[in-house]
Amino acid sequence: MKNHPVLTYVVKRIALYILTIWGAFTIAFFFFHSVPGDPIGAYVRSMEQRYGQRIQDSEQIIQAWRKSMGLDGPLWYQYLQYLDHVLLHFDLGPSFVNFPTPAQKYIFEAMPWTVGLLGLATVISWVLGFIFGGILGWKRDSPVASGVTGLSLVFSQVQPYFMALALLSLFAWKLALFPRRGAFDPSIPKAFTWQFILSVIQHGTLPALSLVLTTAFGWVISTRAMVVSILGEDYLIYAKAKGLKGSAILRNYVLRNAMLPQITGLAISLGFILNGAILVETIFQYPGMGFLLTNSISQLDYNTVQGIMLLSIVLVMTATLLLDLLMPLIDPRVGRQGSA
Amino acid sequence: MRSLFLRSRLFAVGVLILGLLILIALLQPFINRLLIGNTDPLAMGTFDTMLEPSREHLLGTDKWGRDWAALLVLGLRYSLVIGFLSGTVATLISVILGFVSGYKGGRLDSVLRTLTDMVLVIPALPILITVAAYIKFFSIVAMALLLALFSWAFGMRTIRAQVLSLRARPYVDLARVSNLNDMQIIFEELVPNLLPFLGVALASSTAVAILAETGLELIGVGPGGNIITLGLMVNFAQSWGSLALGYYALLFAPVVALILIFVSMNLINMGLEEVFNPRLKRVTGG
Repeated sequence: MKNHPVLTYVVKRIALYILTIWGAFTIAFFFFHSVPGDPIGAYVRSMEQRYGQRIQDSEQIIQAWRKSMGLDGPLWYQYLQYLDHVLLHFDLGPSFVNFPTPAQKYIFEAMPWTVGLLGLATVISWVLGFIFGGILGWKRDSPVASGVTGLSLVFSQVQPYFMALALLSLFAWKLALFPRRGAFDPSIPKAFTWQFILSVIQHGTLPALSLVLTTAFGWVISTRAMVVSILGEDYLIYAKAKGLKGSAILRNYVLRNAMLPQITGLAISLGFILNGAILVETIFQYPGMGFLLTNSISQLDYNTVQGIMLLSIVLVMTATLLLDLLMPLIDPRVGRQGSA
Repeated sequence: MRSLFLRSRLFAVGVLILGLLILIALLQPFINRLLIGNTDPLAMGTFDTMLEPSREHLLGTDKWGRDWAALLVLGLRYSLVIGFLSGTVATLISVILGFVSGYKGGRLDSVLRTLTDMVLVIPALPILITVAAYIKFFSIVAMALLLALFSWAFGMRTIRAQVLSLRARPYVDLARVSNLNDMQIIFEELVPNLLPFLGVALASSTAVAILAETGLELIGVGPGGNIITLGLMVNFAQSWGSLALGYYALLFAPVVALILIFVSMNLINMGLEEVFNPRLKRVTGG
């Protein structure tokens, strides 16, 4: 290993990846369990409500539930038990609300909606932002460009959930052009029919727009800054001296160099996708992981919430791990030392 | 500081907007008297409900008969207090850890850096929602501390990187051979050079705190009690369906105030970076 620097680096980096995931999850676990809530009590109450009668002889039943939900014994024991379930059995534990269905079933059901909606919206925003940011940076001296830059700066600070509220009340409530909640019309059978696909697109438009119309401006600003800083490089003077046309310089020199750091940014924001999903999905009651999360929190469904948090941590860490491992291959300027 | 205003228009505009907002928040008691006399802005049923904006009520009144403009000023005050309190605590944490990590280096540095990376990837909002939902009483200070706990990591990385680069400068070596101790070097040589980055850390963690607080309010788990923030006002306006019913001022007033806060912090950050990042200066200065 000693005489193989690349291998040493990769092994070290992966060890750090595992350590960080473990640490982040452990902090989250103990923080989460320090909350003074009583999930079993909440579960019993919801059962009583559902069946309209009091549960007899509850102490014994509660003990049994406690055990099967992994909530018996001291906190450290619960923690070890949880790790054992997750690592050795790939089991996130039963969902409390829909006991005894395992939590991962609900998480995996919700995942495609979040990945589809937010992944697509994030990529669209990035592409739009990269194109317009590139143009604004290239034309940085024109008054129109600086005006548009100023406006983009303001719009980049409009949060997706503000946009979601505005779009929802305007287009779904006032004008009634789009559906108000959900991801598809439940009266249409779930199948690959045009009717169903159309309904999915209809339901996804407003949530996606609320992300695109806000985050795209953030990409505009960062791409513009990147392009402007590249415009100060010496190799552009050389390219100009060679007699290259402006459009060729923009395409082959400026945008190419601006693209790598922006792709890094895209990968990281794809990793953080869940953060953006929580509020927007909750506002539109879109059945993705963000909405599942807020629902599970309000019902104290520990296992589902922990599962989603674990998944989110793994997602972010994997995105950065892949970047760190792949960047030196793509960009020769990134040294292996620099990326640590 | 004066030259900073001249050298960066972004910074100047950002400070101007933020300064104006802070001034309004500070003068809240006087502005309240101007708007609605000696009435408590939170008292319900003082005026008719859901009035359109007019001379008497600049932004109209809400569903519970409160003057929306007076509430807006109060909400701005609370939002800024929570934000700055939390931002200051977060910046303190990031400065202390960043300095220790960057200046001492070695094993301690690796440990602190890994810890920071862990905190950075913990999804903060779910934890904040959970804690805020199940703790009954929530003071402003508790709220601010809770937000600070999850917003220091980014600033710590910035400051650590700067300390690392400053530590290698010749004048620090000079200070070291002239027998200054660590504390003297840190406070006399490093801190003055780091002030702009402290500014960046403070502005960004304050913005993050206000953003998170607004998110909590939207989900309905804010501090509660008599604490009205801009986020809570957005929540109210939304729950009354104000846009669909045509009461635009109710929703847009707090949203615009929040956007102004975020824009001003962002401008300050970009301005500081423009002036103190030499790579950018070559272009923008010319």
